[in-house]
Amino acid sequence: MILVVAEHRDGKLNRASLETIAAAQQAGSGAAPVKVAVLGTSVDAVARELAAAGVAEVVTIDDAALQDYTADGFVLALEALIGAEAPERVFLPHTYQTRDFAPALAARVNRPLVTDCVAVKAGGYVRPMFQGKLQADIAVDGPHMATFQIGAYRADAVTPGASPAPVRRAEIRVDPARIRQKPEPPFKEAKQAVDLSQAERIVSVGRGIKSQEHLQLAQQLAQAMGAEIAASRPICDAGWLPMDRQIGSSGQTVAPKLYVALGISGAIQHLVGMKGARTIVAINKDPEAPIFEIADYGIVGDLFEIVPAMIAELGK
Amino acid sequence: MERETLEVDVLIVGGGPAGMSAALRLAQLQKEKGGEPLAIAVLEKAREAGAHTLSGALLDPSTLADLVPGYKDKGAPLGAPVQHDDVYLLTRTAKVRLPITPPFFRNHGNYVISLSRFVKWLAGLVEAEGIDIFTGFAATEVLFDDSGGETRVAGVRTGDRGVDRHGQRKSTFEPGVDIRAKVTIFCDGVRGNLTKSLVRQLGLDEGRSPQLYAIGIKELWELPAGRIQAGRVMHTMGYPLKNEEFGGGFIYSLPDNLLSLGIVTGLDYRDPMFDPHVAFQHLKRHPLVASLLEGATLVRYGAKALPEGGWYTIPKLYAAGALIAGDAAGFMNSERLKGIHLAMRSGMLAAETCFDAVRRGDTSERVLKAYDDMVQASAIRKELYRVRNVHQAFGYGSFVGALFTGLSLFTGGWWFRDPLPTHGGWTRIRKLADYYKDARPDPESTVNPVRIDRQLTFDRLTGVHYSGTRHPEDQPSHLIVHDASVCATRCREEYGNPCIRFCPANVYEMVDDGAGRKKLQINASNCVHCKTCDIMDPYQIIDWVPPEGGGGPHYEGM
Repeated sequence: MILVVAEHRDGKLNRASLETIAAAQQAGSGAAPVKVAVLGTSVDAVARELAAAGVAEVVTIDDAALQDYTADGFVLALEALIGAEAPERVFLPHTYQTRDFAPALAARVNRPLVTDCVAVKAGGYVRPMFQGKLQADIAVDGPHMATFQIGAYRADAVTPGASPAPVRRAEIRVDPARIRQKPEPPFKEAKQAVDLSQAERIVSVGRGIKSQEHLQLAQQLAQAMGAEIAASRPICDAGWLPMDRQIGSSGQTVAPKLYVALGISGAIQHLVGMKGARTIVAINKDPEAPIFEIADYGIVGDLFEIVPAMIAELGK
Repeated sequence: MERETLEVDVLIVGGGPAGMSAALRLAQLQKEKGGEPLAIAVLEKAREAGAHTLSGALLDPSTLADLVPGYKDKGAPLGAPVQHDDVYLLTRTAKVRLPITPPFFRNHGNYVISLSRFVKWLAGLVEAEGIDIFTGFAATEVLFDDSGGETRVAGVRTGDRGVDRHGQRKSTFEPGVDIRAKVTIFCDGVRGNLTKSLVRQLGLDEGRSPQLYAIGIKELWELPAGRIQAGRVMHTMGYPLKNEEFGGGFIYSLPDNLLSLGIVTGLDYRDPMFDPHVAFQHLKRHPLVASLLEGATLVRYGAKALPEGGWYTIPKLYAAGALIAGDAAGFMNSERLKGIHLAMRSGMLAAETCFDAVRRGDTSERVLKAYDDMVQASAIRKELYRVRNVHQAFGYGSFVGALFTGLSLFTGGWWFRDPLPTHGGWTRIRKLADYYKDARPDPESTVNPVRIDRQLTFDRLTGVHYSGTRHPEDQPSHLIVHDASVCATRCREEYGNPCIRFCPANVYEMVDDGAGRKKLQINASNCVHCKTCDIMDPYQIIDWVPPEGGGGPHYEGM
């Protein structure tokens, strides 16, 4: 049985959890059942959302001690759940939160932990090494844990269930006295930090946008498409967009359904941040731009002509 | 501010061939002579030993045989013994093989190695002796001590960590540590920032010729199996460099179908529009190289400066509490293009002097002078004195340089004017108006453009990706330009901003400031720590200082 540990914040499910379920469904390929665990308080809404997937069961651990995320709280809760359910494999999304508690959990339940996997293979996993320049095959025997790189699997590749899966509340209590961390109120920057990895559609701008005033053209397109706006490094370096909108090796890595690259040449540093997108549309004046090598749809042309036309068409 | 202090007997700054050899030799002396064990520490700014190490490289194993007898049994990663040496003179489309390989280009008995792997191996030996190598720690300041009457070097201070890009302390702030030592051996490499400031503060270059440099840009490629046997060594002269430009190409084949290839160009060129990176791409498109790289894959990219000046540019090597070894002192034979064995030997000699001084309890200048005496009597002087004017002769053009080099094989380096007068390479760059007269090019253009096809030729940013360079973004820029107002005005007018061309990593860019003018943008996180900007900027207003320790390239296999 494969146990997927879902992640959520403020009642909103992290898309990466769905990606991990997709990975588990593929890894189980029908033979091994997939169960999903949700931890926290008042998690029913999130559990119901997860129950739409084709999984055997959604198990909730609903305990006051888990109201705020703490590493100790999660380790205690999941240690108990793993003990009770004895899953052969435990899958988690490779998020910051997972990285905070998964190693301790793995040590506690004495299981190997393979991190940042990009694929499941017979008998093991594939994970990148040296900034993605090599792929390593990792073979694992026996019960273990694995985390999956954001974007390695597609959230929309989850096979839905014929009917909602049963949701069960586990009989697990977490002793608050055993939680050593005292979380402070969540820290938010003065400006709301954007998590682009949750966006389904992204319109991204590069140097080709020429000046800050022209940004509003991209924003209009984003609005018309229901997309988030993002940028390559030069735009953020110039201060035209905040750093949390930067996509690339020194910014965020995303895998949306649709990525529209406006005036982006496609330097490797940018590509590593978005090549997992399902559909890539590139608009660039330069026919030799490297972005066209990975784009699904490419338009060699002037974005100042093409984007207004797109906006007009979307308005119809 | 409260800083932690660490006290050691000997501090070695820099974990390259010189630093590691010094550490190893100290451990050996300790074993030989016994007595109270010395506290020894090695500081290395890279995240791991060898990560910032880059060279061609051809190793002359003479010093290795002295430092580690039985090195083959100890697993020295010697790559491949040199099987075959060739020198080619290139034109744009053709090549002429020199029928006789000049003696200084003969490599029989030498090895084609990866210097990064070699340094990693040395680090293993050093650690096995129980010596601490503190990787991820950059030394940013020399500590002085005036208390004893004589100003002495007391150690170094490491860089603060956790400072944001505006210079404000972050929640992760950790102040740098003061490491105090009886003797500090400076092995911080070519144009090392500490040696640079030490030389300046103590006037160690008085009476010396100015150091001359070159930049080496290198790529590691994986070839289709069987394309070339390991141990093939090729050096090229001529195309794509003009007669007035010093340098040439190198192509060395390693085991496992790896090819090390690159170009060395003097940082004393006249043409302000010269671009070493573009020259390298041209070299790769030459049939000699292109035929080798057909169907091959780029594995790694990197760049580093080389100290070419030779014997007369070596500064005073000692001061109270300090010694200088390796490339930081400039122990490179620019005729043979070899410096590793000399760096190693200088490290060994520094170790011997140190050991005696510390045991004696006297690390004054008078006692540490023994290091210089040893260097003067050693194989280092024997090798370097003979070629003391070779690089300077190239200042008169490649033809004259080659002639002088050939002549010096017979004359032992003698010349009517000895030393041959020279000036810092950055003084030779000509102004745009001077060099191009009426055909003044646009600074953003490439004078001799090459097609970037991303199979054989690549742009700088792609190179940076293949260098594995990483720096945490939120830190102050470690390229200090003392007067950036010069960039968009005077420099653009006079030289066309050569920094955008001589930096192999796209650190410097002139971008629109939004008000119709240009301004300098520094992409510090691209920096591969080659030091070219510190060396070459025509106004000498750029100071390279170490970024937060651990950041920089990852030269695996280089």
